[in-house]
Amino acid sequence: MKPAPFVYERAGSVEEALAMLQRYEGDARLLAGGQSLVPLLNMRLLMPSAVIDVNDVPGLDEIREEGDEVAIGALTRYSRIEWSPTLVSRLPLLTETVRYVGDRQVRTRGTLGGSLAHADPTGEMPLAAIALGATVVVQSQAGRRAVPAEEFFLGPYYTVLEPEEMVVEVRFPVRRTVSAIAEHARRHGDFAVISVAAVGEPNGDGGWKSVRVALGGVADTPILAVEASALLSGTSLEPDVVARAGEMALAAADPPTDVRASADYRRHLIPIYVRRTLELLQTRRSEGAR
Amino acid sequence: MTETIETVRVSVKVNGEEAVRDVEPRRQLVDFLRHDLGLTGTHVGCEQGVCGMCTVLFDGEPIKSCLMLAPQADGHEITTVESLNGEELHPLQRAFKEHHGLQCGYCTPAMLMTALALGRRGVPLDREQLEEELAGVLCRCTGYQKIYDAVESYLAETAGSGGTA
Ligand SMILES: Cc1cc2nc3c(=O)[nH]c(=O)nc-3n(C[C@H](O)[C@H](O)[C@H](O)COP(=O)(O)OP(=O)(O)OC[C@H]3O[C@@H](n4cnc5c(N)ncnc54)[C@H](O)[C@@H]3O)c2cc1C
Ligand code: FES
Ligand code: FES
Repeated sequence: MKPAPFVYERAGSVEEALAMLQRYEGDARLLAGGQSLVPLLNMRLLMPSAVIDVNDVPGLDEIREEGDEVAIGALTRYSRIEWSPTLVSRLPLLTETVRYVGDRQVRTRGTLGGSLAHADPTGEMPLAAIALGATVVVQSQAGRRAVPAEEFFLGPYYTVLEPEEMVVEVRFPVRRTVSAIAEHARRHGDFAVISVAAVGEPNGDGGWKSVRVALGGVADTPILAVEASALLSGTSLEPDVVARAGEMALAAADPPTDVRASADYRRHLIPIYVRRTLELLQTRRSEGAR
Repeated sequence: MTETIETVRVSVKVNGEEAVRDVEPRRQLVDFLRHDLGLTGTHVGCEQGVCGMCTVLFDGEPIKSCLMLAPQADGHEITTVESLNGEELHPLQRAFKEHHGLQCGYCTPAMLMTALALGRRGVPLDREQLEEELAGVLCRCTGYQKIYDAVESYLAETAGSGGTA
């Protein structure tokens, strides 16, 4: 399968890319890692009149520590995230989660910004962004806006991005937290059937000041399990509390049936994976890791 | 209907040699290598990033060349399986031969290129990590174990030589 013809544009800066997006009035696509866009072009599921390559935009792939935040450029590749010493120490959930994305070849090319913009409901980077309370920085010729990750995704492959906007960076708050992820996939590297990520802030007495639980693959977008998170915060993750949190997460989910699993099977997995993730969180804390 | 599609000049270093061609932007890198440059060692399978047959090295790192447009390679370096050509078998090829790491051979160019990049990266890997690193290339014949054996022995061999073999 070969793509339909299109005009190839190479942007040398964010401003240039934004001007091109404006000029094509919604009929152009940004090309980042190409790991989702190019298959869609090859299968002719997308036939844009232009493809705007942003791979040569300088400075769009930086990882910067700024006070109590880490800012990661939209074009930062998965492999950079996987191997970044800064992220291993500051945002270990990201380096752990990115290993679940595709295979080595996909991680050589795929980018953080492309993953968020593509908005696969099972995507690991969208899940981690929500669990960590990240902010997506979006830019158009009119200026910049900052969108909380929880509000960025509107549906499968659908976000708040306007056609003339692009993701420029993602900002992650850095606190003294413990984090964990558990994922069910048909084989390692496949798209997730479901995935659960948790980020907890320990308090002095062995309990947890706050816990955030997010789930992927269980709804139209990755979701923050708001009620379950509220219930878990301030507890010591006692087994009965964890079980109730699993039921709440299940109630908040609306899983799809697709080629990878039925909705029923996904429902069956939700409480199990919530429990596994929280147990892992607890273990890591007692090991003093992360 | 004759539609004129604008072409883009692509100038790329493939296996150390400069190549310049004018291509349609929609040309996939794998077709550029096979059809425009005649380097048919790189195979094609799914054309949607799933099978890994088209794996080549892009500036030294493994990528699926069906997921890259030829114009994106402009100014970059591509390494294909043809780079292993020589009077004698390359140590990596020898490892595949000795460990029976291939049957029909369809996946072999991609396995070789993925393994070559691993050797150059030079990070020690246990068997499970090795399996994950190679998971981007499917093999329908061998059951993988002998491929892992071959790559394991190659990596052990290159570890001593700083990954230059
Ligand atoms: C074999 C295979 C396995 C995979 N497995 C997984 C997996 O397990 N988990 C997972 O999460 N993903 C998986 N993926 C998808 C992969 O993560 C993609 O890299 C990702 O979805 C898109 O990122 P990209 O940089 O490649 O973007 P592209 O493919 O270049 O672009 C994707 C979309 O985002 C838009 N876009 C890109 N950058 C921006 C930007 N800065 N601002 C606005 N819009 C932008 C593009 O226009 C396009 O519409 C897999 C892909 C393959 C081929
Ligand atoms: S041909 Fe299957 S991954 Fe490229
Ligand atoms: S040897 Fe036949 S596909 Fe791998």
